[in-house]
Amino acid sequence: MNSFSLTTLFSTSLVSLGLALSPFALAKDTLNVYTYDSFSSDWGPGPKIKANFEKECDCEVNFVALDSSGGILSRAQLEGKSSKADVLLGLDLNLMEAAKKSGLLGQHGVDTSAVTIAGGWSDKTFVPFDQGHFAFIYNSETLPNPPTSLQEVVDNQNLRVIYQDPRTSTPGLGLLLWMKSVYGDEAADAWERLASHTVTVTKGWSDAYSLFLKGEADVVLSYTTSPAYHVVAEGEDKYKAAPASEGLYPQIEVAAMMENAPHPVLAKRFMQFILQPGFQSTVATGNWMLPVIKLDEKLPAAFDSALKPAKNLVLPAKQVAQNRKAWIDEWLNATTQ
Amino acid sequence: MPALLGVGFFLLMGAASLAALLRYSDLPTWLGYLQQPYLWRVVRFSLWQALLSSGISLLIAIPVASCLIHRQFFGRAALLQLFAVSMVVPTIVAILGLVVVYGRTGWLNQLIGVQIPLYGLVGILLAHVFFNMPLAVRFLLQGYDLIPSGQWRQASQLGFSRWASFRWIEWHYIKKVLPGAFVLIFMLCFSSFAVVLSLGGGPKFSTLEVAIYQALRFDFDLNKASFLALLQVSICTLFAVIVYRIAPVNRQDVSLIAVKGYALKDSFWAKLADSFALFCTFILVVPPFLAIFDPVFSPIFMDTLQSVALWKATLVSLQIAVPAALVSVLLGICFGVLARFCMARQYFAFLPSKIEHLGNMILMVPGLVIATGLFLTLRDLGWGFKSSYWIVVWVNAVMALPFVLRALIPVMYQQERRFRNVYVSLGIQSWSRWWLEWPLIRTSVAQAFGYALLLSLGDMGVIALFGSQGLVSLPLYLFQLIGSYKLEEGACVAVVLISLCLVLFYCSSRFIGGVRAHVKN
Repeated sequence: MNSFSLTTLFSTSLVSLGLALSPFALAKDTLNVYTYDSFSSDWGPGPKIKANFEKECDCEVNFVALDSSGGILSRAQLEGKSSKADVLLGLDLNLMEAAKKSGLLGQHGVDTSAVTIAGGWSDKTFVPFDQGHFAFIYNSETLPNPPTSLQEVVDNQNLRVIYQDPRTSTPGLGLLLWMKSVYGDEAADAWERLASHTVTVTKGWSDAYSLFLKGEADVVLSYTTSPAYHVVAEGEDKYKAAPASEGLYPQIEVAAMMENAPHPVLAKRFMQFILQPGFQSTVATGNWMLPVIKLDEKLPAAFDSALKPAKNLVLPAKQVAQNRKAWIDEWLNATTQ
Repeated sequence: MPALLGVGFFLLMGAASLAALLRYSDLPTWLGYLQQPYLWRVVRFSLWQALLSSGISLLIAIPVASCLIHRQFFGRAALLQLFAVSMVVPTIVAILGLVVVYGRTGWLNQLIGVQIPLYGLVGILLAHVFFNMPLAVRFLLQGYDLIPSGQWRQASQLGFSRWASFRWIEWHYIKKVLPGAFVLIFMLCFSSFAVVLSLGGGPKFSTLEVAIYQALRFDFDLNKASFLALLQVSICTLFAVIVYRIAPVNRQDVSLIAVKGYALKDSFWAKLADSFALFCTFILVVPPFLAIFDPVFSPIFMDTLQSVALWKATLVSLQIAVPAALVSVLLGICFGVLARFCMARQYFAFLPSKIEHLGNMILMVPGLVIATGLFLTLRDLGWGFKSSYWIVVWVNAVMALPFVLRALIPVMYQQERRFRNVYVSLGIQSWSRWWLEWPLIRTSVAQAFGYALLLSLGDMGVIALFGSQGLVSLPLYLFQLIGSYKLEEGACVAVVLISLCLVLFYCSSRFIGGVRAHVKN
């Protein structure tokens, strides 16, 4: 009896040891996704996407949170060909050429015909995962006569404006391109006029938006979808996006897989998954941007007012990549006169 | 010997990260960069604002320090604790604090209807004084600590006025601390970047650091980044050399331990000067702090406290900050021991100040550049990924080194001068010396540890470069919240971060420094 119970004890402890070790024994593959911090945070779309994808892939998703869009790319470049990243998620339309040039990215092979972005999508390296437009946000209680065009933002000397530095933030770069596509060769003059009633130019989006919410400016550069956050999460509808008769400049966020991804099969599957409802349905109220495919379920009503642009202004990626430096210099010279 | 190893390791790591960056450099293009007029405009402005910021910080700090030494008043201890924390307040939080006070709808405007032009040089100076004046005060107080009690006693007996004692006693000690503090604050302001961008009003006010950030984060142009970093180092070195050339040598006298309690003659003018000092403090430093603590009263505060993510982030922060502080203090002690070893020997007598400056050099190079260089080196050696946690710890440790040295070195020199003859005659060496000196230097060690701890807790630059899902520190968490429109939660997290800093600083001065230290500082 005694010896029997000893064996039981021994065997149960063996079994329990085995159970304790089993996560190691049956280790699932881990897909490493480099993204920016607010995407992977608890209230971002990241956790839901992780759960949805893990349900079908029999794998584990690990988000590596970097501080910005630029941070994702520079981290991958820093690690080079030996990077453990499988997928880069959260690059900006305007970083695409630079990212391609790094030689680190592979082709995704995903059918992108369902993508609803104006002008369609045909890039072989990048898959878009959400979209929106840059827009100036204002407080409708304190600003009864909001601007209705970019030109009004630039010319109305009473309007106090905050925007982001194009050298350090993607919205800043977005405004640079927006100005370029509206003003062309006269952009320098326009920058000069804007500079005379600019409150400040910040390092990133968060500084700018917080200063605006503290009442330091009449308008701030953000996204057409920003007001939806205030409505859905705070029940506050005084923040609105100003329309622009010239058209709006799009912000499209994209993902790409690494050429040398440690888990190429999983990475390919994840790239496919980006255009599935399991991913796209989390984008609106997680990342506060619009999905890039048609979804069955309707978005919250707040997103209906996310402006449909009069015109989708978008400069070809090649042209942007070629001229980015020159345009930034033009901006610098015009605003430091 | 271990001291030499420590300093050697520091040098090796520094050289490794620099070498890695230089490998990617391309000299001909550097000449092209040098010809950009914008670059020189930026350099000129960086110098100008840094000079102003550090000058103003010190000018205010001197009367404040003197007042804190001579007067006891309600809230003095709390003020000193607050001073310790000011330098780690995340910039965005400090900026919002300043905006709440001085902004368009701020307290100042509501109370007396005055609106100052916050965006531009004024805003930058306000923020820099907010960050650095308290720091300067704490360094000055350390200078005061070295004043022997005999001098105070004499001053008291001779009926010195406050001015006379300042002129004949205090100034003598302060002027030795000033150059070091000046150079340190100058470097901090010279490379300041988030503050300058947010409150500067536009690219007219920009610093070199923006260009470095852009080169690394957006263009991944290592060539340009290393060029700009070198340029920054050269300018700061030049500046430091000039300051140290004209500054009196930091030579400690053989002195007794300071004991307070000798009253000086009070006068109307002394009262006026002290009121002015306190007024400056209460205008420049205290209100933005109060504004930062404002979210405590919001209903969201309790909810934020209950989130698991917050405490996980706190844990990660501690996991980074505590080892970083330990490493930093160990390094600092290595530097100190080596410096005073040299001091005692004729042939090396020129070395101590060099060793000290070596430790300060690190501040001239942006943390981002050091971390990138280090990572590249480790990557080439084949252990890039697993080491990222240690890179974060190490870079935080070396970034805190200048502060640690400021706190440690004067006291270590002082002990050396006091006891060298005793040591030599009795043959007391290495560890035994430690046991003897510990009660005398523990206050300074505590302060050094506290600084390193706080700096690493507040670090945003390096952690952002290497953060991942498992490595989200409090500042990173705060930025996640703000980045997802959750400003108010972010403000609450800032309160938690700052309170944590206060508690930890208190604990480190209490437990490492002993009870006496707590009373004094």
